[in-house]
Formats: sequence, C-alpha cells, structure tokens
Amino acid sequence: MIETHDDLRPLYRVMLALALVAVLILASGFALLLKFAPPGQSSGYRAQVSGVYLYDSGSGTISGSPMTRFHRTELFAAQVEWEKLPPEMLVSARWTDSLDDEVGATEPTPAPAGSLAREKGLVPVRTSREFHANLPGEYTLTVVRYARGQPVELLASARVTVLRDP
Amino acid sequence: MIRHAAYRRRWRPTRYLLAAMIGAALFLVVVLSSVASFAIGPLPLRATLFGLPGVGFIGAATFFGLRALHDQQATIRVRDATRAVALFVAGMFLWLAVLDVYTFTGEAGPGVASLCAIACLPTTAIGLLVVRRFDRNEKEPWRLVLVAALWGAIVSTSLVVWAESLWDLLFTATLVPGPAADTAAAYSAGIFEELAKGAALVLLYLVMRDEIDDVVDGIVYGAAVGLGFNFMESVAYMTHQYAILAPEGLGFVGAIGQWYFRQVIGLFLGHATFTALIGAGIGIARQMPRLRQRVLAIACGFLAAIAAHFAWDAWQAFVLVGSSPTQLLLANARYVVVIGPFAAVVLLLLVMGQRVEGNALRRQLQVEAATGLGAVLTDEVAVLMSPWQRFRARLAALGRGGLRGYLRLAQLQTAQLHLAMERWHRERREIDQPLAAEEALRGHVLELR
Repeated sequence: MIETHDDLRPLYRVMLALALVAVLILASGFALLLKFAPPGQSSGYRAQVSGVYLYDSGSGTISGSPMTRFHRTELFAAQVEWEKLPPEMLVSARWTDSLDDEVGATEPTPAPAGSLAREKGLVPVRTSREFHANLPGEYTLTVVRYARGQPVELLASARVTVLRDP
Repeated sequence: MIRHAAYRRRWRPTRYLLAAMIGAALFLVVVLSSVASFAIGPLPLRATLFGLPGVGFIGAATFFGLRALHDQQATIRVRDATRAVALFVAGMFLWLAVLDVYTFTGEAGPGVASLCAIACLPTTAIGLLVVRRFDRNEKEPWRLVLVAALWGAIVSTSLVVWAESLWDLLFTATLVPGPAADTAAAYSAGIFEELAKGAALVLLYLVMRDEIDDVVDGIVYGAAVGLGFNFMESVAYMTHQYAILAPEGLGFVGAIGQWYFRQVIGLFLGHATFTALIGAGIGIARQMPRLRQRVLAIACGFLAAIAAHFAWDAWQAFVLVGSSPTQLLLANARYVVVIGPFAAVVLLLLVMGQRVEGNALRRQLQVEAATGLGAVLTDEVAVLMSPWQRFRARLAALGRGGLRGYLRLAQLQTAQLHLAMERWHRERREIDQPLAAEEALRGHVLELR
C-alpha cells in the first residue's frame, strides 16, 4: 500500500455507489422494455401495406399508383390489407411525421382487423390544424397488434417522404 | 537519477500500445459499421466516402499532435505538429463535407447551418471557459481542452452516426412504437454516445496520463468532450428543426427553441455532465494503486454516464411534447429533475477532488519551501494556494513591471504549482518521469525568478 497523506477512498466509494445506482437505472429500463415489448408475443402474422396513395378526403378514396414521395399539399393514405389478418385480432395503424407527432390513425384504436377490412382499410394522414400543409420530412406508418390493452407486436411499417417544396 | 524514478516498472510503452490498439479498434468499428450501413442502406455512399477518411485523418492528427506535445527536440516537435495540423485540416474538410453538404445543408442550406454553428460558438466557448476554471490550482492547457472538445464534436459524433443508424435499423425499428421503442433508442443513445465520447478520454488518459492529474482534471476533460459533442448535436437539431418548420414560416422559432434547450439550459445539464462522469472515473483511476481499482473506477464512470444519458432519453416517452406553458415548464423541469442529481454528483466529486488536491499541493509546497532550494518560498505558499491571491499578486506585478511582469509572475506561479503537482505524484508513486524531470522543473522555476 502506498504511504500517503491523501485519502482517495471517499472518491472511489462515491464512484462505486454511483455505479450501483446506474445498474439499478439500466435494469429498471430493461424491465420497462420487457413490459412494453414482452418476449414471446410473436403471432406469426405480418400485415401487408399494399401501398401509399394520393387521397381525396372528400370522397374518402385513393387514386393513382403507389408513391413514396409527396408534395406538402398532397394528401395521402396507406392501404393496409386487413383481410389477411385474423378478423378478431385487435390492431391499429398510425402515421407519425418527421417531428414524431401522430398525424393520423385508424379509429377506434385498437379495432378488430375484420372491422377495419370492411372500411376500405385506408389510413389517411391528416394535416395538423396548426399548419397550412403537411410538414416536410419522413412519415412513418406503423401497424401494431394489441393484447391486454397495450400494443405488443409490430406487424408492419412503411415510410414515405414529404418534399419541402409545395 | 533514472534509478530514482517513481515506478520500478516503466510501463509507459504498454499504455501507448494499448492506446494504439484502442485507436485501431475504433477505426475498425467505424469501417465495419459503415460498410454494413452502406450494404443495408440507411446512409448514403457520400457519408462513407467522406466521413470514413475524415475520421482516419482526425485520429492520425490526434496521434501526431499529442506526440508533438511530448517531443523533446524542437525539430521533431515542429514536424509532428505540422503533420497534425495538415491531417486535421484534411479531416475537418472531409467531415464538414459530410456534415454540411449532406447532413445539414441538404435540408436547411449552408447559410442556416453556418448561422446555427455561429449561434452555438459563444455558448460553447463560455462552457469551456467555466469548465476549465473548475481546476482552481493548475489549469489545463487550452490546446488539450480544445483537442478534447474537437474530438467530441468531430470524431465522437461520426462514430455515433453509424452505430445508432444500425441499432435503429436492426433493433428499434422492429419494436412497437411508444415506450418500448423509446427505451431501446435510449439504450442506443446512452451506450453508443457515451462510449464514443469516453473513448477520447481513455485515449487521453493512456497517451497523456501526466496531463490528467486527478479527478478534477478528469472532470474538466470529460466536460470538454461533452461540450464539443453538444455543439455539433445542437447544430444538427437546430438545422433539422429549421428545415421542417421553415415552410410554415416557423424555421427560426424551431431553431431558437433547440438552441435554448441545448445551449442554455442543457449546456451543462446534458452531455457535459454525462461525459464528466466518465472523466471523474478516469481521474480517480489515475490515482488508484491497483489495476483492479483502476479498471473498476473507469467502468463505474462509464456505467454512470450511460445510465444518466439513458434516463434522460427514456423519460422522453413520459413527457408530453408540445408548446403549452405547462409542457414548456415540464420540458425545463426535465433537465433539473433528471440530469440535476447527476450534475450534483459531479459537483460533489469536483469539490472532494479539489479538497484532496488543495491539501496535497499545500503540503508539497510547504515541504519544497522547507528544503531551502529557493523554488518556493515559505511566504509564497499561502498565495499559491489561493486563486484570488495569485491574481492579486499578478496585478501587483502588472503595476510594477507592466504586462511583462504580469506574464512572468503567471509563468512562475504555474511552474511552482507544476512542481508541487509533480512532487505529489512522485510521493504517491504515480508518475513515469525520472527524478531528473522534477529537478528540471525546479530549475525552470529558479530561471523564472
């Protein structure tokens, strides 16, 4: 042992205590992850997103061929093939914009896949009332399955880009 | 004299070898992850083409720069310093090519990216000034503080881009959106960003161990790396917000909001705190006698930083994002509530470290004064131990001998404190240099008198 007048043990002990707290924080995070993404939840099903199309909010219909880039003023909607999922399976789909805000979802959430299939299976993006048009950037569609009141499995996802120019 | 060296086993080459291995491993990680990223597709070829050599150049520049600081012969020092500058400029150019041309200007334009960078410069500079002043007795050289900050800004951020992109693609994107995906993303940010920043500190510790005297210095360098990282991340977020909101005429509002959160309230309560925790662990390890204790102290620092960063990011899932007064208040409170306790621990470690360092330096100065060799006089000890009294003494020297007198006394005080620090490390047997180095320092002090 080095003979010295300094006692660095308190500093060392603070670091050890801090590491203990750190382990607890990281472990609680892992518990949180397991709570919201419990293992063994795979149903074996995958939802099919047949495409993202131009959308007419007046008639509630889509037109044209599938696209991955839209202008800000263009409304668009994803078509999900809900009929390929078991009709009783509780599911939902939602769009998030480049700020990660929700900008459209199936209603009600969640709903049986069978009932969504009877309603054309469209998931339109809704322009926020705060803005004149859709914000530019990447938009993400996620289709999830619910169990015991919470989303447990990602069934499908799709991404499109909204261009900056109008 | 060599026989009197503090360490019986002179292990400096082992540290250099370890540093080289870590540097090579980092480079390999970057190469592999960037190749994988390119193969899978989340990053464009331009990022790999320009970013990868950029990281290589900055790494090589750091090596030559640090070697130049240690070179004894002036000609070799100049040669290494020139190489370091040339490599650094090349690396900066290549990295900025990625950053400005692709990452930022592609969205917001070069003018906005430059404005954002200019807006972040003064706050980051103030942060570095404050952090450097944490070291009350022996301030760290600006060149090394800036190297640490630049590493955080350029190398760490580029290491993180690839790693986080891959994690997101392979893991987070497969999870249910919401708390699960947010938690996975928080792990990614905590682990990869702290490892990337901490790598700079570990390399500094291995290559320039004599510059990291104790926990105080570790905190200073750690916070400097964090401030550099925060600078680049602020510019990225500001330009991103601008690009999204500009078409609605709210671009500058979004950018200013990001600037406030990242450069004002989050300047110290953020990356600076996280990486200071790693620095504290390394600083404590610097003075631990056993290898096991050193490794454990460094690991504790990393764990603490990762957990603090994770807690910060994970809490996003539970805080509503918006612009109502309550939500804005919550957003501010989040900094204090989540990072505040970790910042308090950093301050506690700093104060404890300053006390240990202060007591040790006072004792060494008194012992040196008692030798009668003339490097330190008895009545100088009290002055040297107080930053305020040192400043007053320099002001008095300014009155007597003008700026020249001020600077000369500043040099003398610095050299005397260096000598005391050297004596402290020698007493604790935690220094590489032979006793001749201490005598050279003493001779330097006497020259300055």
